[in-house]
Amino acid sequence: MVDRSLRSNGDSAPVGAVLVVGGGIAGMQAALDLAEQGFKVYLVEAQSAIGGKMAQLDKTFPTNDCAMCTISPKLVETGRHLNIEVLTETEVLSVTGEPGDFTARLRRAPRYIDPDKCVGCGDCATVCPVLVPDTFNEGLVPRHAAYKLYPQAVPNAYAIEKRGIAPCRDACPAGQRAQGYIALIREGRYADAMRVIKMDNPFPGICGRICNHRCENECNRGQVDEPINIRALKRFVTDKVYADPREPVAPAVRKYDQRVAIIGAGPCGLTAAQDLVMAGYGVTVFEAMPVAGGMLRLGVPEYRLPTDIIEHEVQDIVDLGVELRLNCQVDNLDDVFAEGFDAVLIAVGAHEGVRLPIPGADMDGVLINTRFLRDVRLNRYAHGGQPAEGAPPLGARVLVLGGGNVAIDVARTAVRLGRQVQLACLESRDQMPAHAWEVEAAEAEGVVIHAGRTFERILDDGTGHAAGVVCQRVASFRFDEMGRLHVEKVPDSEHVLECDTVIFSVGQRAGLAFIPDDAGVGLTDRRLIAVNPNTLAATRSGVFAAGDSVSGTAFVIEAVASGHTAARSIIRYLQGEHLEPPRKPELPVVHMSRQEIDERIARGEIKPQPRVPMPELPVAQRIDNFAEVEGGYDDASAQAEASRCLACGICSECMSCTFACGVDAIDHDMGARTEEVRVGAVILAPGYAAYHAEMSEAYGYGRYPNVVTSLQFERLLSASGPTSGHVKRPSDGSAPRRIAFLQCVGSRDQTHDYCSAVCCMYAAKEAVMAKEHARETEVSIFMMDMRAFSKGYDQYYKRAERDYGVRYIRSRISEVREDPTTHDLILRYQAEDLALCEERFNLVVLSVGMEIAEGVRDLGRRLGVELDAYGFCHTARFDPLETSRPGIYAVGPFREPKDIPESIIEATGAAASVAGWLAPARGLLTQEPVFPPERDVRGEEPRVGVFVCHCGANIGGFLDVPGVAEYALTLPGVVHAESNLYTCSQDSIKHISEQIEAHRLNRVVIASCTPTTHLPLFQDCARAAGLNPYLVDMANIRNQCSWVHSHDWEAATQKARDLVRMAVARARRLQPQYQVEVPVEPSALIIGGGPAGMTAALALAEQGFAAHLVEREPRLGGTCATCTLPTTGAIRRRC
Amino acid sequence: MSVTPEPDRDNHNTFEPQITAFYCIYCGYMAADTAGVLRLQYPANVTFVRLPCTGKTDIRYILQAFEQGADGVYVVACPVGNCHHVRGNERGYARVQRARQMLEAVGIEGERLDMFFMSGGQGATFALAAQQMVDRIRRLGPSPLKQPARAAPEQHHG
Repeated sequence: MVDRSLRSNGDSAPVGAVLVVGGGIAGMQAALDLAEQGFKVYLVEAQSAIGGKMAQLDKTFPTNDCAMCTISPKLVETGRHLNIEVLTETEVLSVTGEPGDFTARLRRAPRYIDPDKCVGCGDCATVCPVLVPDTFNEGLVPRHAAYKLYPQAVPNAYAIEKRGIAPCRDACPAGQRAQGYIALIREGRYADAMRVIKMDNPFPGICGRICNHRCENECNRGQVDEPINIRALKRFVTDKVYADPREPVAPAVRKYDQRVAIIGAGPCGLTAAQDLVMAGYGVTVFEAMPVAGGMLRLGVPEYRLPTDIIEHEVQDIVDLGVELRLNCQVDNLDDVFAEGFDAVLIAVGAHEGVRLPIPGADMDGVLINTRFLRDVRLNRYAHGGQPAEGAPPLGARVLVLGGGNVAIDVARTAVRLGRQVQLACLESRDQMPAHAWEVEAAEAEGVVIHAGRTFERILDDGTGHAAGVVCQRVASFRFDEMGRLHVEKVPDSEHVLECDTVIFSVGQRAGLAFIPDDAGVGLTDRRLIAVNPNTLAATRSGVFAAGDSVSGTAFVIEAVASGHTAARSIIRYLQGEHLEPPRKPELPVVHMSRQEIDERIARGEIKPQPRVPMPELPVAQRIDNFAEVEGGYDDASAQAEASRCLACGICSECMSCTFACGVDAIDHDMGARTEEVRVGAVILAPGYAAYHAEMSEAYGYGRYPNVVTSLQFERLLSASGPTSGHVKRPSDGSAPRRIAFLQCVGSRDQTHDYCSAVCCMYAAKEAVMAKEHARETEVSIFMMDMRAFSKGYDQYYKRAERDYGVRYIRSRISEVREDPTTHDLILRYQAEDLALCEERFNLVVLSVGMEIAEGVRDLGRRLGVELDAYGFCHTARFDPLETSRPGIYAVGPFREPKDIPESIIEATGAAASVAGWLAPARGLLTQEPVFPPERDVRGEEPRVGVFVCHCGANIGGFLDVPGVAEYALTLPGVVHAESNLYTCSQDSIKHISEQIEAHRLNRVVIASCTPTTHLPLFQDCARAAGLNPYLVDMANIRNQCSWVHSHDWEAATQKARDLVRMAVARARRLQPQYQVEVPVEPSALIIGGGPAGMTAALALAEQGFAAHLVEREPRLGGTCATCTLPTTGAIRRRC
Repeated sequence: MSVTPEPDRDNHNTFEPQITAFYCIYCGYMAADTAGVLRLQYPANVTFVRLPCTGKTDIRYILQAFEQGADGVYVVACPVGNCHHVRGNERGYARVQRARQMLEAVGIEGERLDMFFMSGGQGATFALAAQQMVDRIRRLGPSPLKQPARAAPEQHHG
């Protein structure tokens, strides 16, 4: 118990603020009570909106009141109360200090949408492509990652749910938001998908074809069946977009005089060029070859990467305003600086092939991979494979030496030139560094592979021309720590692989001859440019290097990533900033556990379905030409493949919402932050969690679609639920005729040795409501016994049975079976006459009990309040709202299972207790609204101002908003009318106040949404301009016009005009109103001196009010004092 | 909107009735808002007038609506037993009944006036009420008060 001498034991008053944890009905009630009594309240809620479980309910027992109608005035009042600070998506980390002066540390998770800017228009959710189960609707329907918890949610602001970084994005060097563009492909929004890809990668068409797609290796879907075919989807979307006429690219705006030179027009250099030119710098790209594209254009064979795709994507970058100098070899770095460039990026690729130092390596007929591929790409073997323009001759039998991807490219290219091709490599067949599918494709096309060979020397045909390679078989090989190769050969295994042309394909490296030793640019032992890996700055100031010249041979996507990094670095260099990149909030990578995958399959959220196959050109049609081997997806198969995505990260950062938001409220870079608040007391109202019904496997929840929980059934009954209040069964949407309720699921069982207190009553209520929706429904409730103990409950239960014909059967069902054809459910039970019965039902509702969520148990432990074995909070017997830690109170189901009325009673009780011992601090931390003195408008002619809201597209998309404003100007008394994008945004509110003053308006009409939520806001706006708040009226042209007549522009516009005309007519007659203060006698009379009367009297007295307790008996204590109970001693002590 | 009735023509499809609805600021208004939130479409022929409670329904309001050109009038109230002013909706209902008799006495079909009860969450019921009234009045044709040529309504137009 709190030391009640607190008030008198020192000079300092306690802190006049209270922390209330949990924004459900109990938390809101406690918060409102305390705020009304002059205390500052911090209301902490874990979800993105307050309202708790009650907001999910359809009706409340025993009155069948609409739950939302009852709770929504409280939501609005809590949300708008000047002295209640609602902290959503927040958890309490710790509470330190003493009663009267606690410090609470709070972790505020990022919402990613600024609730002060957000106007709740929902445009972000409309464009959000990510779907996740809607927790508010208990997973019955999906919702978007950008969401508002429920339509009436307070705060009236959207939030974005992020779980972390999807593994596909994490695996990609360039951080491609694969999950995002996959979701957009699923929705058929190909241009948006392309925008997402291009945010991180200027070469989507190229990567869609030749990327090594590490994203797919990490894809969580792989744990279900097969990874998503991400590469094919990327290719699909580029093919789709590129099939349309090319959209001209607008040149980037030049903002700075500084110029950057980029050496090499490969993927790395061009990526950096794009970033730099878009940042406003001048960019010149030097390319030694006659074409741009680097290795993509000259190294990758046409059958894998068509030239027109490369040209398209290169042109998109050049058109931004990049100067491209082809056939322009840079011979010396200093020449570039001499031309006046401020920074240089070296992005030369690894175009120099490597010859092994074996005898005969320089002989005629011995070629190099890079040169060969380049000559083919430049059409130097165009005519029947005959060389032209100085390309070396190619014999009929080609032997490729090497086992990597480039070697396979070389081999498959030679096949297409009509040559007989063999390939020999050091590694064994299954250890070849080339991708397995490439090796298989090569073999299918007729390439003969000789794996596990050493290359001893090249044979001479006697004329100085190669005739074959002498090989030995490899027993084993390894590289030592210095990178030197050690091979153990099979003795006496020397043999000859005969051929006419040998092509080395054992690696390639960058040509760095243009960097003289004295250029100040250091190189590494491996002949790579030495750079700081974080900044890609070389050892000479102003010189940066990226791509293959830094990392050695790598994949396109790495070149792109490297190009981005280099560009960011160069921008920081040119801006004179610190070169090291600033840290960003890091989200965790989402690796789903086996258990999670299994649970999601069990709940039916994931349905196993393998990859949609991709069409391929048959071998016979591809070996004699350079046509693309892989076909592509069509729309249907792409969307089917895309819908397999598990949306691992939840929000994919596709940025669609950022583009859609009209008030710039979205910030994807928000991070979590920790805050501290000082409070005098803490009230814990974290509420309950419904039992996870899938744990009771015998009932088949998750496996059988027509087994639902009582909370799901509540959503099915709710008029604002997913079925608009028509009870439909999940399997087929039909109306269930026979419904069974199974009581005590997750309560009063082996693992829950307690009664959940509410299930008997809510089952009766749900049964009654089901009958009210459809009288012919037959409802049976299987129960152990009936616990209807509160006021009016027993009558309610009897009425359910007698008047509504709800059948009650005393039996505990042990198992639910399903008829797989109809998805009906079969229950067997023993009737009261002991006969064994079997019945068929269309829907089974599990009356799940209350549990304490793991997170709430953790909270209890962190705060050091005692919990029982089930996590319910332990409270003192005679101070039932006080926890084991003084100054911390517990209310609602966190104490023990209970219903709404009891939770509210406890909340008010805890608030009264807290108010008692914090009484000296009352009013110390609260504020009163401050408004300028009111203008006297009596005797003025009405001067009406009309403000018509677009609400983004919510109104403006369905009727002529400017037209309505123009019409308003013609109405009598209207002196000002205008339309606003969002009337309720902060800047508009300020603007309206200004207009009231500027036009000396004395009546205001806002034509926007509903006054239920927004009238107080506009009334305050009027008061801020010195106008009486009752001179404001609203016309609801959204909820009651644009949203409900969205298919008829004319009719909606006409109705909006009518509504505005009506509101103006009414406004002209409005008169100022004043709230009248009446004197209140601050004392109370309590009749009855039993425990209840005494507690009430004490609470009032503690708060400093006179309490007159009247008892007709000669002593206090009531009935309790006359009973002999273990508790009477304590009662007597109180008397 | 001006309606020019052509006596020979069946007005099933061409006649767009004007309907005035009175609703209370509690359940009636909330139900209309909920219909919007759920994007439930209903005809735009209905103009709404707010009352603090349907207990404020005055027979004069109803009659004036007809006088001023309404082809139909209806009232939307909280469910019986759930009125925020305890029995305001029942009192309103009694007046609607009385107004009906008065309408019929002067030759206006009683069906042109009706009352609906629903909770704030029942957006679908709200949309349905609007649709029903529009369908009904469309069937009945324009208000007899708008047809000076015809002294009293004839039989229903089919």
